[in-house]
Amino acid sequence: MSVLLMTLDTTAETETAKIARGLRERDRELLADLVERYQHRLVRYLLYLTGRREYAEDVAQETWVRVLQRGSQYNGRQRFDPWLFAIARNLAIDYLRKKRKAIEAASLPDDPDAMLLLPSSGPSPFEAAARSEDAMRLAVRLQILSPLYREALLLRFQEELSLAEIAQVLGAPPTTVTSRIYRGLAALRSAFEQGGDSPEL
Amino acid sequence: MIRLNCDKRFRDLIDRSFVEEVSAGERQVIHNHIRDCDGCKRYVELTARTIRGLREFTFTSEPDSHAQVRQILADHAGIMRQHNVQFRVWAAFAVALWMSFVGSALVYQMIKRLAVPMHFDTAQVQAGVLLFWLLPSFCAALCLLAARRENRGIA
Repeated sequence: MSVLLMTLDTTAETETAKIARGLRERDRELLADLVERYQHRLVRYLLYLTGRREYAEDVAQETWVRVLQRGSQYNGRQRFDPWLFAIARNLAIDYLRKKRKAIEAASLPDDPDAMLLLPSSGPSPFEAAARSEDAMRLAVRLQILSPLYREALLLRFQEELSLAEIAQVLGAPPTTVTSRIYRGLAALRSAFEQGGDSPEL
Repeated sequence: MIRLNCDKRFRDLIDRSFVEEVSAGERQVIHNHIRDCDGCKRYVELTARTIRGLREFTFTSEPDSHAQVRQILADHAGIMRQHNVQFRVWAAFAVALWMSFVGSALVYQMIKRLAVPMHFDTAQVQAGVLLFWLLPSFCAALCLLAARRENRGIA
């Protein structure tokens, strides 16, 4: 059993090392392969983060360009997806900051996380993606849920990242991560509670 | 066995069991407790349902989104390659220029030592180094800059 685990571990290491080498050499085939494998997940993460399809698509493109430019910074010792999501998150915050600046010339909050709390308008991408009655009920809550909780929930339950990996993506301590997940769960759980109080979102 | 009342601490443990690893003992505590406590049983069911619901979202990608990204990356890679080539050409020119001057100084020192037995005076040595060493190497460095990109051989 331990031999199998060691083999799997070595395979995983080889995979990330291969990605790191390919990114250092700007290997076009590897990049195309990464786009194929991660684009869908990247856009989904950015949708949870920005709440807007068009923003998610724009930031995803910027993220890949950044991966091309700064690929040599990926050391291959950790999984590729948390590293990718961390880049996407920083770009999304910058993107939303620019969008907001374009809309209003008001003073901006110093906290980068606060940039994620921009109100969104238009049709909800969550409702469009809901494939069950329960998901539809959650979609309504998700649209008004703070993006900080939304992204933590996505990274834990859809991307199935570990708490340490989520902390790496968010640049926050694991205690903050768990707290966001618990609060997010509490807010969404109330969607199924009959006559439950309005959740604090 | 740990004794837990049906309070916030217990709900926290249930939450933790969904989000993190809990010990077998803690799992058993939850299992035993929800057998007798309808409130917590419902809490567990709702949490499980919420997490299941979260996994029931299917986001579809734009059909040409992958191709679009690949095209953007190809364009950027081209631009970066071009910038890289320009940088390397200027770097090579700088090195060649430096070497032509340093090389000339070294050659001058060497020939000056040979000049006495060969009966050359200093002006002749200087002219020789200038004509046969410094100027050709300087021209070679300039040619590096002026050469067409595909002929530079360093891209």
